[in-house]
Amino acid sequence: MEKPMLRAMLTKEFLLILRDKHALAALFIMPSIFILIMSMALKDTFSSDRAFVSYAVIDQDQTTISHEIASLLRENRTLKEYRQTVRPGKDLQDALNDDLTFAVTIVPGFSASLASEDSTVPLKLDAASDVQQNMLRLFKGELTGILMKLRIKTLLHELDPLLPGIAARTDARLMDQSSLITVQFNGLEESLFPTSTQQSVPSWIVFGMFFIIIPMSTIFISEHRQNTLMRMNGMNISIPALFTGKIVPYMVINQIQVWLMIGVGMFMVPLLGAPALTPGHSVTGIIMVSTGLSLAAIGTSMLIAVSVNSVEQATTIGGILNILFGAIGGVMVPKFFMPEAMQTFSNLSPMSWGLEGFLDLFLRGLGAGAVLTESLALAGFGGLMLLLAAWILARRTGNGL
Amino acid sequence: MIRIHNLSKSYGETPALRHLNMEIGRGCIFGLLGPNGAGKTTLLSIINGLTGFQEGEIEIFGLSLAGNIRQIRSRCAFIPQALAFYDNLTVIENLRFFAGIQSIRGAALEQSLDHAISVNRLQHLLDRKSATLSGGEKRRLNIGIGLLNNPEILYFDEPTIGIDPESRNDILTTIRSFREENKTVIYSSHYMEEIEKICDEVAIIHHGRIIRQDSLQDMLQQGGRRSVIIELYHPDPARLSRITGIMPELRLLDEERLMLPSQDSAGIAKLLTLLEEEQIGIRQIRYRARTLESLFINLTSHGEADA
Repeated sequence: MEKPMLRAMLTKEFLLILRDKHALAALFIMPSIFILIMSMALKDTFSSDRAFVSYAVIDQDQTTISHEIASLLRENRTLKEYRQTVRPGKDLQDALNDDLTFAVTIVPGFSASLASEDSTVPLKLDAASDVQQNMLRLFKGELTGILMKLRIKTLLHELDPLLPGIAARTDARLMDQSSLITVQFNGLEESLFPTSTQQSVPSWIVFGMFFIIIPMSTIFISEHRQNTLMRMNGMNISIPALFTGKIVPYMVINQIQVWLMIGVGMFMVPLLGAPALTPGHSVTGIIMVSTGLSLAAIGTSMLIAVSVNSVEQATTIGGILNILFGAIGGVMVPKFFMPEAMQTFSNLSPMSWGLEGFLDLFLRGLGAGAVLTESLALAGFGGLMLLLAAWILARRTGNGL
Repeated sequence: MIRIHNLSKSYGETPALRHLNMEIGRGCIFGLLGPNGAGKTTLLSIINGLTGFQEGEIEIFGLSLAGNIRQIRSRCAFIPQALAFYDNLTVIENLRFFAGIQSIRGAALEQSLDHAISVNRLQHLLDRKSATLSGGEKRRLNIGIGLLNNPEILYFDEPTIGIDPESRNDILTTIRSFREENKTVIYSSHYMEEIEKICDEVAIIHHGRIIRQDSLQDMLQQGGRRSVIIELYHPDPARLSRITGIMPELRLLDEERLMLPSQDSAGIAKLLTLLEEEQIGIRQIRYRARTLESLFINLTSHGEADA
């Protein structure tokens, strides 16, 4: 393909897109707005500070130990202390009927019982009628952990005269849960738990990139209907040259989308109070995944463009396909919220491959090597779609175009 | 320059062209005349390499079309019936784009642009978006794009459809000017007066066959007849068909126009009497000299068409 030819094709395609306000809105504004909205909307869902369970402590013992139970429960950021003081009886029932989930009653003599040989701990737990069993088990586990800590602490203090300093040495370790269990989220440290921004930016980058299906296929169909394609054929433009003239500008547009949306995630989302995006450390990786995604999106666009007969068909089919790929591929609903079978099914969507690639880079902090498979799969998918599109186009037009 | 031998093309079971033979010399403005669906566009598409064919041979510039299509195309231009350019680009952007994809660059590019612009009088329209041009201006741009590669052969497929008479005259004048540049033009149209105005040679194509090919002058001398065209005032079709039943030589040109293919006074008197009897009003009577139209009607409405 000669330089003037390529330059002319690129200029034409850019001018057509830049003058199409709807296409620009769909390619740049829509995904940016999605990122802002979804990062804000899901901020609490992804936040480790989010309190899911409300509880109340009815302390009838009023000892140091009973106060410590209340204090340890307060340290758990997934629990929310009920907004008002609850008293046993009708007060407690009303609160449980309202939005209180658990009420822990520390009965008088509890501290003495904890220190004694008596294994029965008179701690009473009231739960709301609609509480789920797994939630009850988790809360009981939390309480049990606190009681175990306090019982060991009491025992260590009793042993202290015999083994001087043992209570002080063990106390800090006993209270520090992280010294006992290290949590990793799919290879990511607990401190790097995915935020709403980390989840939403890659999702909407992938979705936005695939949105080129609509402007690309509509421009192509208009060219076909206005006979400009036929005229180009008469000017010796071959299918590979025609496709190159389409692929290159849309790859550039996709790159602009990617970096714009990363910018939105890093600089605009924090202005609205949601956490900023941390895009990892591999620029090469981002380029690899986004190039693969570009080819997949462009291939799909071309296949739609050559297979339908009208702009209306292209818009409808392109829109539906985009939403389906997004819904299956974990853009609308993160994959880890899906049941296992659905997660396997979601691997059919090329958007899922791209999303996994970006999550590897943004969330898991991996490098280019880790996204090679996803990038190649996407590029392969795109190449296959382009070959199919070229074959259909050659068949439909009988002689080249 | 162009030699077509025994060319046949079918779409499935439907024949589009049947055993066509044609020779067109350099510098000739060649009219391809035929009603809609006669096969004109198919023929132009084939010689432009845009559509395949089942049988026959085509030679252009002494080269067989098969195997030399790219080389041949680079010396030709096809100006399609449709306005094949981008509405969202300006006139100059369209011209530059179509020049660019033909790899025209440097001084040649500027020269081509100047030529296409001046021949089609596009100077004052260069920065206008193509969508905002008038019908005639769009047609001129469509032709201008075709001139960019300085073609030796130009194929025009009904280039004046849907435009006003003034723009039509402009376009015909432009096409006539190509004769001075020794360019070969194949001009396809069903407007006979256009063919009469600009062409040196004419082929009448009907049902995929060439039913007559000759120089325009010879064709008019040998085949054209004097005729009378009578425009009627809202005629009742049943009454009209009674008249054509009595005078079978009459040709119904459309719902309100009759043609008597002679200027014989007895025939005219008979027709006027019949019209009066059937109470059909007359809007206008025109006496026509030898025209391509009368020849065309003669040829396409007689057995010759199916010969």
